[in-house]
Amino acid sequence: MNVAIPKTKAEQSLSEAFEANAAKLPGSAAVQAARATAIGAFNKLGLPHRRVEEWKYTDLRVNLKDALPPAVSDAALVTAADLAGALGGLAGLDATRIVFVNGSFRAELSDGAAIRGLEVQPLSRALTAAQDKVAEGLMRTSGPEGDATIALNTAFMTDGAIVRVADGATLAKPLLMVFATAGAAAQLTSVRNIIATGDGSAATVIEAHVVLDGAAASGQTNALTELTVGQSATLAHVKIAAGSGKSVHLANWNVSLGRDATYRGFQYTSGQALARNQINAVYAGVGGKLDLSGAYLVRGTEHVDTTLVIDHAVPQCESRELFKGVLDDRGRGVFQGKIIVRPDAQKTDGKQMAQALMLSPDAEFDSKPELEIYADDVVCGHGTTSAELDADLLFYCMSRGIPENEARALLIESFIGEALDKVEHDGLREALSRSANAWLSAAKG
Amino acid sequence: MLEIKNLHVKLADEDKQILKGLTLTVPKGEVHAIMGPNGSGKSTLSYVIAGRDGYEVTEGDILWNGESILEMAPDERAAKGVFLAFQYPMEIPGVAGLTFLRTAVNAVRKKRGQDEMTTPGFMKYVKEQAAKLNIDFEMLKRPVNVGFSGGEKKRSEILQMAMLEPTLCVLDETDSGLDIDALKIVSDGVNALRSPDRATLVITHYQRLLNHIVPDKVHVLADGRIQKTGGKELALELEKSGYAGYTGKAA
Ligand SMILES: Nc1ncnc2c1ncn2[C@@H]1O[C@H](COP(=O)(O)OP(=O)(O)OP(=O)(O)O)[C@@H](O)[C@H]1O
Ligand SMILES: [Mg+2]
Repeated sequence: MNVAIPKTKAEQSLSEAFEANAAKLPGSAAVQAARATAIGAFNKLGLPHRRVEEWKYTDLRVNLKDALPPAVSDAALVTAADLAGALGGLAGLDATRIVFVNGSFRAELSDGAAIRGLEVQPLSRALTAAQDKVAEGLMRTSGPEGDATIALNTAFMTDGAIVRVADGATLAKPLLMVFATAGAAAQLTSVRNIIATGDGSAATVIEAHVVLDGAAASGQTNALTELTVGQSATLAHVKIAAGSGKSVHLANWNVSLGRDATYRGFQYTSGQALARNQINAVYAGVGGKLDLSGAYLVRGTEHVDTTLVIDHAVPQCESRELFKGVLDDRGRGVFQGKIIVRPDAQKTDGKQMAQALMLSPDAEFDSKPELEIYADDVVCGHGTTSAELDADLLFYCMSRGIPENEARALLIESFIGEALDKVEHDGLREALSRSANAWLSAAKG
Repeated sequence: MLEIKNLHVKLADEDKQILKGLTLTVPKGEVHAIMGPNGSGKSTLSYVIAGRDGYEVTEGDILWNGESILEMAPDERAAKGVFLAFQYPMEIPGVAGLTFLRTAVNAVRKKRGQDEMTTPGFMKYVKEQAAKLNIDFEMLKRPVNVGFSGGEKKRSEILQMAMLEPTLCVLDETDSGLDIDALKIVSDGVNALRSPDRATLVITHYQRLLNHIVPDKVHVLADGRIQKTGGKELALELEKSGYAGYTGKAA
């Protein structure tokens, strides 16, 4: 029984932090009520642990030792140059920017100019200004019931982007949403984005979670993005979570695809002491196409968990997943991918692949693919591989004069390259590839 | 000069002796051919020269220009001019041919104290060399050797060789799998590299290749040692009578 389990230090401090800060968190009475309900749910749930099936490889009671004080308002001095430094290869990307520092919207770092077909506003304003019904709606998610990370996000979220792409609009530039951690005090930053694209629209949205130079390394982020892709719309969505090596990143994407919609999601994760990337996708109309992929780089005692639930609720939809992890030292990668095919979802076509490259004998990869199929006319498959760097290929490269460290980097790049290639935007793919390179060269030092 | 002295090689993790006192000298400016039955240790010799793991030298030495190379890593050997064209060239998924070539060329140039090649300079050079070997430039944008035909892989090896400008070339059955025209093109490529300061070791099963790349000497490797050394006419002799006289097992 839950009651029998004593609360961990982190659980205790999260509950107390809510009581202490509730009044400072943005939102009208309805929003405050929703927050109170959420923390109530969390108090009952506690942090998920290994006896909760979905969390069996990522025990937050064990791995999340300390919960940091929540970020409520932000005063950190951040310049455009600081931001550029943290964004690395993304800094030069031609994109429309909206910037948040420690979970607070920063107008002076964001692009103000109006873009046809695109509406972007900070969530904090909507939470405070909108009518109760609307604001309450913003608090709802389509994520799984009883998920502690979602409950915490609802309780503590301070800001994020509300994005609407108009029917038929094609955005010429990607929207870059930057979430920067700054300042010497390590905090728990909670953000929520709500993205809805119109019928027949096409857009690319990037979520970049970065740590500024000189910021506290051990910051924690809880980021939730709620996505609704319109009928026959195409949405490319890329998340970059490049941490300090000590940071914690808990993320949820809840995706709903309209009829004949195409959604291409990609996640890049590196430098996270602990990361849990949950993606819940459901098809709201027939003919939807979903392509989820990602690359994660793990070293030291870092732990990166990718947990997907793809719900084929309607017929004739397609899903593709490809996740690649590079695991060094005592790092741990977790992949859980569940594909549900409901009784009506005939002609479902689902394929899933999770691969790990083990750079060290002490690294660990846990993979749990699950197919839950209730329809009979479907094509579904999954695979998992885990391998070391190929010694023969390493020799081949070295015999051509390439030094061992470069040869290793080349082969590791080629391993994750297959996943990076899923990112269609050239500049973005190159920026990601540069981030991965930087990670690899840091290994040499 | 390549000097292989009384080389004994066994598999590192098995009790199998492959080379049993092989001695061979290839002076600069010369091309030597090695012929020998399947499994006699020809590829093993080539791997030990290039520095592949998995083989243990229990006795003897390999000197290149008077210096033992046995303790050197494969990339150091490459920098010293050693190049092996593999019997079975490997495929590297995800690494574009051009990226691979450029990384290799610049790594070697750096170690040899030469300037790295600029992008335009490199591109011009690859295009020239690829054209000479009748390699479609578009193919080099694809991952290294992936999906290449057997003959295309062999030509890609020779392109790498031309680009890296080695001084000790070991070609392990580069002729196997080549059609008649490709054999000529590849041989021309190898002959173009003939020079007074380059030593070449050609491993082959077919006398035919030696009509194109005329060797200064032909060695017969059997049972882990050089059993006989002769001029190019030795290849013709072998073509007629086979290896019967050289292996312990045969009559
Ligand atoms: N890594 C290895 N593991 C096991 N056996 C090996 C290994 N390398 C070589 N051998 C064995 O050593 C012997 C020599 O092999 P090698 O490939 O050198 O022969 P070869 O002369 O090149 O033959 P071929 O003409 O068929 O190419 C063979 O019996 C082979 O099976
Ligand atoms: Mg061989």
